[in-house]
Amino acid sequence: MMTELENDKKMPDICIGFEVHQPFRLNRYFSPDPKKKEKDLDSLYFDAINREVLERVAEKCYVPATNILLEKLDEGFHCTFSFSGTFIEQLEKWRPDVLSLFDQVARHKNSELLGQTYYHSIAGCFGDKTEFMEQAGMHTELMHDLFRIRPTVFENTEFTFNNHIASCVKKMGYAGVFTEGVNRILDWRSAHHIYTCNDVPVLLRDIQLSDDIAFRFGNRGWDKFPLTADTYADWIRSANGDLVNVFIDYETFGEHFWKETGILNFLSYLPEELEKRGVRTILPSDALESYMPVGTVDVKETISWADIEKDASAWMGNERQHTAYSAIQKAAAFAKDKALWRYLQTSDHFYYMASKFGTCGEVHNYFSHHEARDAFKIYMAVLADFENRNIRFMKNKRSAKTLRTLPPEEAFHFTSPTGYVGYAAYSLDQFCDLLRVVPSDSIAYHQERGDLAQWIEHTLQDQKLAEDIIGRRDRQDLIITINQRREELWSRLK
Amino acid sequence: MESLKVAFFCWESMYAERVGGLANAATNLAETLAKDHEVHFFTRGWVQDQVINDVSYHYCRPQGNNTVQYCEDMSNQMVEQFRQTDQKKRFDILHFHDWHPIQALHRLQDRETILTFHSTEFGRNGNQYGDWWEYREISGKEWYGGLIAKRVTAVSTVMKNEVMRLYNIPDWKCDIVPNGIVPRQYHANIDPGEVKQRYGIHPYAPLILFIGRLVYQKGPDLFIEALRTVCRDRWDAKVIVAGDGGMRQFLQERARDLPVNFVGYIPDSEYIRLLNACDLVVIPSRNEPFGLVLLEAWSAEKPVVACDVGGLSENIDTFVNGIKVQTDPGSLAWGISTLIGDPTNAEVLGRRGRAKVDRQFLWSPIANRMEGTYSQVCS
Repeated sequence: MMTELENDKKMPDICIGFEVHQPFRLNRYFSPDPKKKEKDLDSLYFDAINREVLERVAEKCYVPATNILLEKLDEGFHCTFSFSGTFIEQLEKWRPDVLSLFDQVARHKNSELLGQTYYHSIAGCFGDKTEFMEQAGMHTELMHDLFRIRPTVFENTEFTFNNHIASCVKKMGYAGVFTEGVNRILDWRSAHHIYTCNDVPVLLRDIQLSDDIAFRFGNRGWDKFPLTADTYADWIRSANGDLVNVFIDYETFGEHFWKETGILNFLSYLPEELEKRGVRTILPSDALESYMPVGTVDVKETISWADIEKDASAWMGNERQHTAYSAIQKAAAFAKDKALWRYLQTSDHFYYMASKFGTCGEVHNYFSHHEARDAFKIYMAVLADFENRNIRFMKNKRSAKTLRTLPPEEAFHFTSPTGYVGYAAYSLDQFCDLLRVVPSDSIAYHQERGDLAQWIEHTLQDQKLAEDIIGRRDRQDLIITINQRREELWSRLK
Repeated sequence: MESLKVAFFCWESMYAERVGGLANAATNLAETLAKDHEVHFFTRGWVQDQVINDVSYHYCRPQGNNTVQYCEDMSNQMVEQFRQTDQKKRFDILHFHDWHPIQALHRLQDRETILTFHSTEFGRNGNQYGDWWEYREISGKEWYGGLIAKRVTAVSTVMKNEVMRLYNIPDWKCDIVPNGIVPRQYHANIDPGEVKQRYGIHPYAPLILFIGRLVYQKGPDLFIEALRTVCRDRWDAKVIVAGDGGMRQFLQERARDLPVNFVGYIPDSEYIRLLNACDLVVIPSRNEPFGLVLLEAWSAEKPVVACDVGGLSENIDTFVNGIKVQTDPGSLAWGISTLIGDPTNAEVLGRRGRAKVDRQFLWSPIANRMEGTYSQVCS
């Protein structure tokens, strides 16, 4: 009786997706160089390591893994790719041969391409969603120009997702969107079905089965080590529900786990083992047509696939990241050259600034080419330089000068007679915000010495405001005065 | 919930007369409520009435020969100012904080009133009854306030039980609404080594911090005795005791052979520096209705060792975000040694503490709970 039931049980399909992304990492040795021309900024801002990394990963992962997949696609295996725009740019620049390999994959009838933001950016979290939608549009154009394909299913950067993003995805006309199958949005429900969020169908990644490959594959301490394709296919077969979404970084195959771990063999045997067991591989757009949504999910707080927190804390978890995050949004007003501004929105820059501990911290470190503190300093220095270069093209140069983002050495560091108190303002906006937070005796100390007025006059170059705040001892009084001036200056930039 | 017109009565506030923690708690709550409601704050102050962050402050200038008289005068002035504002548009909720404005509560008792107990005279007296007239007068006012207020809130379960026991306040009438915190104000990016060196401490030596008034209630004596045991095993452990009080002389005498630095009263900025530089915060209180230091330590991602009393007992989860110990030196010593003996784990506990703050103790969820009490009074 039992066996009959088991045979009757419908096996879920599997939808396998690969995230393929490379950022333009910032120059670890950056220092401002006014002599550099606009057209040379790429080499000033971005690190030479980008090319090294791309070429290394191409040899270890992109070429061998894609060759395997091309063969499997021909044999009837289905899989999905999500290419970031920055990745494509790097291939065009440094490895056009690999691009043509991906071109074959992209145009293959058994593959599908997902939409994402061109710059793999954090723009989805911005208060103003127009930038996010523009970048998604740019990505669609890129996919169309290169591969003659307009993606119909969307995947936001690192699966960051919430109700607002859902609405935007809907507005842009996608048929569905991928995100993480986080327990707190599913509660008791299974991730192996399609749900909707604000009327847009949602495909949920199976965390466990994805991480079995992406994180645990090479872990000798794992009781399932070594994982083989047949075991894995058994797990999929015995799962419940309509479909299992497995989504992993493409670099897992050969780069995060070297080929010596057997990961490439795993990849080449998996399609066969799945087929043996009758498990269908399916594309997301087909899945959306085959299966009806079984319920809704409500995502008030942003979720993502990062770390154990599965929220936005990998990019916006600490004060430094918050500083950088508000600075990049503010920089919109300075961005004559939108492309450079957008390169700076790539999520990886924020990821490097994280100060996480434990295994998640190790993962952050693995991906980064510098230390969290340096990552922040370099980021702010580059952003400050970028804004500074753009000021001369702006209508109201004096207001812009006062409102610009500052490099670390010019930021206002709040201190007391004994030393630094741990708060630094990188712009007038942040200064105003921090006035609510820093201990009042630190403010009094600076006012007594006239530091605030000096900084505003000489660094921000606003003589009027500097004169206005002299002698104001009261915190609230200072906040009101500076806030008024700040709003006045911003209104001139609009 | 529809927008209400709310009046706060509290003898201190953040932007004028400010005495202790009550000013922060009441002001932050008022500002958070002001996002959805019209909030007027009646308090003392020698400045012009003003509007800050959407809260309207009405200041009075009381006089009196003793605290009780002084507070009565303050209450009467508050009522006058309240009536002026009330005439324009009637207040929906009158929210009183601690015993000081009880006279005002008395005069406005037929309105929709709420009394919040941040502490009691019994607790402030080190969990002991007093027999002098001020003690009796103030406890009497606390009892009377609890009797006539339409509803009462307490900052912790322990506080609630205390007022129920002391003042016969029925269970149904009393809600628990804890204090909140603005974690950014306590978490700073500081190099601990630099701060430690300023105090002559090696950057890698474990630094144990005590902050608070040096009075019996806060248990600094238990702490010093505990250190004797701790330092027997850890010659490198260093201690800073910040704060002043009647017991200082005695404590310094007791700690003569211990690596304890009594820095006395310190400005906020120095507190932030020390808080972010230390490896462990110890809260050895004998009684703590809420224990704001706990939230401050957690905000800075620091682990705590605290006595299993009051609000501390309620909020700390042992070995998750800190360690609770019994109110005696031996137990405290065990807790302290456990944490400085395993710094990696201690850091994890501190981070989990911060996570708890971000989940439960930000002001907006706290204000929501207070709104729950408001709606009960209104209906």
